[in-house]
Amino acid sequence: MATLDYSPAGVSVREDLRDAHERLWIHLASPGNWWTGAQRVAIATAARSAVECKLCQDRKGALSPENVQGEHTSTQELDQNTLEAIHRIRTDPARLSKAWFDQRIDGGLSEESYVELVGVVTLSTGVDYFCRALGMPAFDLPRPIAGEPTRTRPDNAKSGTAWVAMLAPEDVSGPESDLYGDATDAPNIMRALSLVPNEARALQSSSDAHYVAVAQIADPTVRRAIDRMQMELVASRVSALNECFY
Amino acid sequence: MSSQVNQTKVDLSAVNGLSDNATGVRHGEQLLAFTEAVMGSDAAALQEERSKLRTLLNDEEFVDVAATIGAFNVVTRIADSTGIPLDPMIREFSNDVRNELDLGRFASSANTPAG
Repeated sequence: MATLDYSPAGVSVREDLRDAHERLWIHLASPGNWWTGAQRVAIATAARSAVECKLCQDRKGALSPENVQGEHTSTQELDQNTLEAIHRIRTDPARLSKAWFDQRIDGGLSEESYVELVGVVTLSTGVDYFCRALGMPAFDLPRPIAGEPTRTRPDNAKSGTAWVAMLAPEDVSGPESDLYGDATDAPNIMRALSLVPNEARALQSSSDAHYVAVAQIADPTVRRAIDRMQMELVASRVSALNECFY
Repeated sequence: MSSQVNQTKVDLSAVNGLSDNATGVRHGEQLLAFTEAVMGSDAAALQEERSKLRTLLNDEEFVDVAATIGAFNVVTRIADSTGIPLDPMIREFSNDVRNELDLGRFASSANTPAG
C-alpha cells in the first residue's frame, strides 16, 4: 500500500488521522462480505466520478430526480442499478426515499450488498472532502487486494427500524460481540451499517479520528484544537447543506 | 448543547445560511463561509475562503475543520441512504434547535415518525 501523501496541503496532519486514513484505504481495497476488493475499489471510483455524470447533474437541477431519465456514465463495470445507488448517495442523498431503496433491491442488489456499498461510498466521500478542504488532490484510490467476499450475515440483525436490517447492542454475539464495545445503547447512526459489521467498524474508526469518539459525542465539553462550538457550527452547516434531518 | 455549556448565545439562522452572523462562535463567520465553499463547486471561491481562514487558524485547528467537514459528509449520507430514524434521546435534547432550524422541511425527516 502506497503511503498517502499530505504534502500538497502544506500542513501537518495529526497522526491518528493519518492512521485512520491508512486503515480505511486498506479496508476499501480488501474483499468485503459481499463485494470483492476490485468491486469495492470500482464502487469508490464510480462514486468519485459521479460529480461528472451528466444524468446526475441534470437530476440535481430537477424538481424531482425521478423526472429525469437516462443512464449514468462511468468507467467502471457496474450495472446501472448499482451505479444509480452509488451516484445518488454521492451527489443527491437528501432526496433518497424508501421507494427508491426498494427499487434498488428489486433491481438486484441484496440488502447486505447495498449496506456494504453505502459504507464504501460514504467513507471514501468523507476522505475526499477532507482533502478538498485542505486544498490538495484526492488520494489515489488503493489497488484492490485479491480474495473472495465472506458472504456472512450477522445472525441477529433485525428489520423494522430503518430501511435496512440492523444489529442492536443487546443482540450482538460471537464475531460481532465487539461492535459496540461496552455500550448498552448506540445511536442509530452507529447501527446503520451493522448488517455488514466491518463497515460499521470502519465508520467508528473514521468518526473517532475525524470528529470525536462515539462514546464522547454526548459530552459537549469534549473538543479538539477547535472548540466544540466551532465543530458543531461546521457540522451543522454541512448537515444543512446536505439537507439532512438526522 | 455546547453553547448551553458555554453559556453563549449563538445565532442559529447562520446554520441555515440565513445570516452571516455566527455570534458567539470564535471565527464563526469565516468557518461558515469556508464550509460553504468546500461544499460548493466554485474553485476560486474555495481558494479565497481557505486563504482567509488560514490567517485565523493554526495548522492544527485548520486540519480539525477539514476533518469535521469530512466526518459529516459521511454521516449525513449514511443516515439518508439507510433510512434511520432520529434516536429518541437525540430528538428530545435537540427538539428546540430542530424546530428553530425547521429541519422538518428536509425529505429525510419522513424516516422519523411524528410524535
